[in-house]
Amino acid sequence: MSLNNNESKKLTLLELNQCVSSAINQTFPQGSWVSAETSDVRINASSGHCYLDFIEKDTTGRKTLARARGIIWNNTFRELNKVFRQSTGQNFSSGIKVLVFVKVTFHEMYGYSLTVEKIDPSYTLGDMARRRIEIINRLKEEGVFELNKELLLPIFIQRIALITSATAAGKEDFIKQLTDNKEGFPFYIKLFPAVMQGEKTEESIIKALDQINKQIDLFDVVVITRGGGATSELNSFDTYLLAANCAQFPIPIITGIGHERDDTLVDLVAHTRLKTPTAIADFLIHHMNLLAKELNEITNNFVKVTTYALHEQKNNIKLIGARFPALISKRIERNRSTLLALGERIPAFSQRFMANKEKEVSLLSQQLKQKITTKLERAKRDLELKQQFIQMASPDYVLKRGYSLTSSNGHIIKSTADLQEGATLTTLFKDGKATSIITQINKDQ
Amino acid sequence: MESEETYKKATLRLQQIISDIERNELDVDTLSEKVKEATYLIKFCKERLYKVDEEVQKILEELDNE
Repeated sequence: MSLNNNESKKLTLLELNQCVSSAINQTFPQGSWVSAETSDVRINASSGHCYLDFIEKDTTGRKTLARARGIIWNNTFRELNKVFRQSTGQNFSSGIKVLVFVKVTFHEMYGYSLTVEKIDPSYTLGDMARRRIEIINRLKEEGVFELNKELLLPIFIQRIALITSATAAGKEDFIKQLTDNKEGFPFYIKLFPAVMQGEKTEESIIKALDQINKQIDLFDVVVITRGGGATSELNSFDTYLLAANCAQFPIPIITGIGHERDDTLVDLVAHTRLKTPTAIADFLIHHMNLLAKELNEITNNFVKVTTYALHEQKNNIKLIGARFPALISKRIERNRSTLLALGERIPAFSQRFMANKEKEVSLLSQQLKQKITTKLERAKRDLELKQQFIQMASPDYVLKRGYSLTSSNGHIIKSTADLQEGATLTTLFKDGKATSIITQINKDQ
Repeated sequence: MESEETYKKATLRLQQIISDIERNELDVDTLSEKVKEATYLIKFCKERLYKVDEEVQKILEELDNE
């Protein structure tokens, strides 16, 4: 059948579809390897067949450039999914890049579809690795990749916000291991349940983180653990949004997601990455142990230095006690020799002192003598003058010089007023007296 | 966290006291005072390490995380 020769010939739809189908069969007789992204993956519960769309997007990832329906028959799908999960750690699901070997078919009734026969997981692995690197680079460019790592662990890591599945088997073991630690350190654990596998993981963990963030002051660290379970589905921990949330969380995050092969992105940005919940419990107890050890060392040191100091004090007292007699006699000896030296200096000193005093005394007595003589002479002269004066004033002396003294009836007459005519006067001379009678009185006017 | 600061200060103070005693320059009275203070601080730190803080426990138990 040649299409070229039948340009004018009318075909029924069936005939046309048969033509297309045969053309496709001729072009891809064996099938072909094709790389594409999975979309809308759904498994029919009763048949076990897997239906999906293969798509190809442009480099920006926003525009879909091609689309084809795909199908994986149940027998193929079971085997394929097993291999795929073992190699990549995730289920065959939507939104992943795959390299599949497909049979290209065009069914007259159902149209164009790709029947998957084989899958190359290494392609998906490569793509996952590339995506991881892209996310890491983006976190680094945004400057958040190291943020949680840069937080300092608090001195006490006791108040723990635990994000894990409420039903996880390892959860109780973790809590028991931590709370039953043999040193008796108290730990406070608050569970924030989250879905820890599958597509809900990202959203669920971010929600738990948001809740913790609302009461951030109540917690020292966040512990994220899967608490056991299958190792598949780890790519839920490899999303940009979850990694970015963990990286920027304000308190340290410790992970125990438990994967033998690669760290998840959450592990990479977490403050401390450990393998298992058991390892986390050990880590937390060890941290407290270090504090206890430090305190123990301080206590021991304190006891040691104090014991030594007390011992020293005691020794000092003993030593002083032993040296006391010698010290005292030495001191006494020193005092005695000082006294002796002083004693020896006494005679010379007192002689000099006495000589000085004697000189002082003789000087003083000389001065005294002189002063007394002067005073006596002055008094004598004074006396002589007074004597002379008294002599000159005496009646005898006056009478000798020619004066006479008149009295009447024993009174000395100094004025004519004292006289009466006929009165008797007695006149005293140097060599005797005369009696007279007044005949006339002439008073001066 | 406030109690962290206090704990840190307490351990630093203890180290200080130890080196003071170690220098052996203290008279008996001062030594006795320092020993008293250090004993108190050690007791405080031990309690912080080993004693259950009922208040924290209660707050976390009552915390609604749904």
